[in-house]
Amino acid sequence: MAGATRSTLANQETSGTDLAAAAAIGLSTILFVLSVASLAEQLSITGSISGVPTVTLLGGLLVLLGGTVASFGVSSRLGYVETNADHSAGLIAAVAAGIPWFLIGGGFASETLGLGAVAGLAVGVLIGGTAFAATAFPREDVGSTVPIGALSIVTGLVFLTSVLGPEWVWDLGWEQTASLTAEFVIPVLTLLNAMYAGWAAAKAYGGFGARGRHVGAYVLVYLNALSIVAFLFVLVAFTVVRGIPGLLTGAEFGWGVGPGTTVGVGGFGFTLSLPFSVPFVMNGVALMNDFQGVLPAIVGTIWLVVGAVLFAVPLGIGAAIFLTEYAEQGPFTQVVEIATNGLWSTPSIVFGLFGFAFLIPRFGNSKSLLAGMLTLGFMLLPLVLITSREAMISVPDEYRDASAALGVSKWQTIQSVVLPAALPGVVTGVILGVGRIAGETAPILLTMAGGTFVPGSQTADVIGGFEFIASPPFVTNPELLQATSALPYQLFALITAGVGLGENVANPEEFRWATALILLVVVLSFYAVGIATRYYFRRKLSYE
Amino acid sequence: MSEIEPTEQTQTKTDAGSAQPLQTTSGESEEQLHEEWIDYRFDGETKLAVETLDVHYGDDHALKDVSMEIPEKSVTALIGPSGCGKSTYLRCLNRMNDRIKSARVDGSVQLDGEEIYQDGVDLVELRKRVGMVFQSPNPFPKSIRENISYGPRKHGDIDTSLLARLSGRSDEEAEERLVKRSLKQAALWDEVNERLDDNALGLSGGQQQRLCIARALATDPEVLLMDEPASALDPIATSKIEELIHELSREYTVVIVTHNMQQAERISDQTAVFLTGGKLVEYGDTDQIFESPRSQRVEDYINGKFG
Repeated sequence: MAGATRSTLANQETSGTDLAAAAAIGLSTILFVLSVASLAEQLSITGSISGVPTVTLLGGLLVLLGGTVASFGVSSRLGYVETNADHSAGLIAAVAAGIPWFLIGGGFASETLGLGAVAGLAVGVLIGGTAFAATAFPREDVGSTVPIGALSIVTGLVFLTSVLGPEWVWDLGWEQTASLTAEFVIPVLTLLNAMYAGWAAAKAYGGFGARGRHVGAYVLVYLNALSIVAFLFVLVAFTVVRGIPGLLTGAEFGWGVGPGTTVGVGGFGFTLSLPFSVPFVMNGVALMNDFQGVLPAIVGTIWLVVGAVLFAVPLGIGAAIFLTEYAEQGPFTQVVEIATNGLWSTPSIVFGLFGFAFLIPRFGNSKSLLAGMLTLGFMLLPLVLITSREAMISVPDEYRDASAALGVSKWQTIQSVVLPAALPGVVTGVILGVGRIAGETAPILLTMAGGTFVPGSQTADVIGGFEFIASPPFVTNPELLQATSALPYQLFALITAGVGLGENVANPEEFRWATALILLVVVLSFYAVGIATRYYFRRKLSYE
Repeated sequence: MSEIEPTEQTQTKTDAGSAQPLQTTSGESEEQLHEEWIDYRFDGETKLAVETLDVHYGDDHALKDVSMEIPEKSVTALIGPSGCGKSTYLRCLNRMNDRIKSARVDGSVQLDGEEIYQDGVDLVELRKRVGMVFQSPNPFPKSIRENISYGPRKHGDIDTSLLARLSGRSDEEAEERLVKRSLKQAALWDEVNERLDDNALGLSGGQQQRLCIARALATDPEVLLMDEPASALDPIATSKIEELIHELSREYTVVIVTHNMQQAERISDQTAVFLTGGKLVEYGDTDQIFESPRSQRVEDYINGKFG
């Protein structure tokens, strides 16, 4: 018996059976990738891959995968393959195998056979329980492979026999017309099966036992991490694919096609122009425009974030310094802490209302960029405070001691030791906060608004807007007191506007997606700036 | 200047608290302490004169009525079991205990005859004159050069800021000389002169500790307090530090806390033994303390029977 003999410490040879297990892991990875691709609509369920219909291909691969996994387990039990299987696959594996079988059994009985909920539940418990028992009671090599392998085979056969074909729709029968289509169900089922069978195959590859479970857990965790990346990728790819056509409407590339500026050098005028012209991001909306764009909203969003950061970061860091370095730890700091956390979880619409009722009457009684900036700044403040405080607390006290022992004053210590060491953490907080506020719609709606289509003339020229006047406060900036637009709000307005969009843009659907894409790009660029800053400060602190 | 150091506070509290059980586990009855055991006469000038020093951490009486005089340009070792108050005593000498909120210091410490526990003492000046090296190496996460010049820069002795450079008043040469001098004094120059702009955290533990010594020397102190400076280091790094301490005692007054009695015997000129929860038991020439201690308990402690 495989389990009874002492296994060798090192096994240099790769046997054919090892290869089979490895192939099964590879197969599950392929299925994983295919299902993610079809979820991202990059692979059509109704279409075909090199002549083979996609569903047939997925079904075939699933049957092959399930068969490989199950037969590996059986041949290990029969002694053809040498493994270190334990006496049982364990409770976790049993529950994991029982759940899908419960769902399959219950679903089949209640929906396909039409037996109703109670009978469905009974059949589900029966089949799920059988799978549980089949996993828990036999030796590990059979228990951890056969129920899961069978699951893959059954799913594959369902695909192959077109019980669940490309045109399949499950009308859930709710009041709204909710339904699950094959386009969604098939990739999700494939994904789940790929993860299950990949887990089983990995255990088999590790020869079961402690090592097998280690490899299994590794593959499972790895696939989990991969699926997080995959979902992010799907989300971004989805937006990009749909946004690109709208973004590139009327775009031109080549020397001198972009908007130019004339630079005078010694009496000669040179016109410097960008080598590209993308009307969507360079235009506002005007009657005369060939192509309409969202420039005012882009500029508005950037100014909003810049203004909020300029307002919240110094205030937040200052408060964090006071709370961490100066204030006596006690009821007061605790109250501040609770208030800060509460402020961070306050719904953004409440911030918006505050801005609307408190700030707007004070800034000329009209919605304005400044009101938006301050409202978002108030939203950003608690996070900057929380993360800065955490970062400062985590600066080792040894640094403060060393500095004090050199006779350096407290403020100088904070300035030149504590703050530099805390900066990467502070920047992380600002990154997170900017990610949140840049996409906020509700506060903008109430404090700044804008419109469905914003004329290019409303592009905020904040820098050029400063004017000096003879009486206090000596500097004014009408641009700050005017309403402009921001991307999240404009997107919201575009989606809710409905009829009438077609008068301004040729393809409203493309216009919306392009707006969403630009919002994503703007937010991600803020991220990039933040991450680069953090990298710079970390480099200064570490010795690599 | 009252500063809040919660972690420090709790740490020292437990230290001080652990002195109580030690007393009982030693299994000996309280030995009568004698004034003459700590009556140490030496040639030369007194650098630090401590009189009837008491330290409380909240309700803990961490240091009880300690009086001793420390001669200049010598090495004074403070030994004793954990929690006996020797670190507390050391931290009184440059008023680092001010940083612990619950600490209360009574008594007198005079540096060159000048009281340091009185109103109007300039802590910056005091700590410039009385430098300190800690148990674990704690260089700043900055370059080696910046670590050395940190103190003088903050004190305004060296100015290499952008403004100074623009106005041509930059002290870059002075800084260079200072870095070189300090590192040479700490016997680190040969190892790091090629990479002064590297981050100090990239140095080994022993190098980091010598860097901390160099950093303390850069402010040109008269007294150097060392709190178990070699306890986190391997034997080779330790012997380097010991050699260095020996060298430094020609110019500086060194007061060192150590757990290692061989180390105290090797490097110190006089030794003070703290035993009973914050009391100074015996103080005298190192040779005398180690060869013929007057207190029975000091003898037991030195011979490893206690503590």
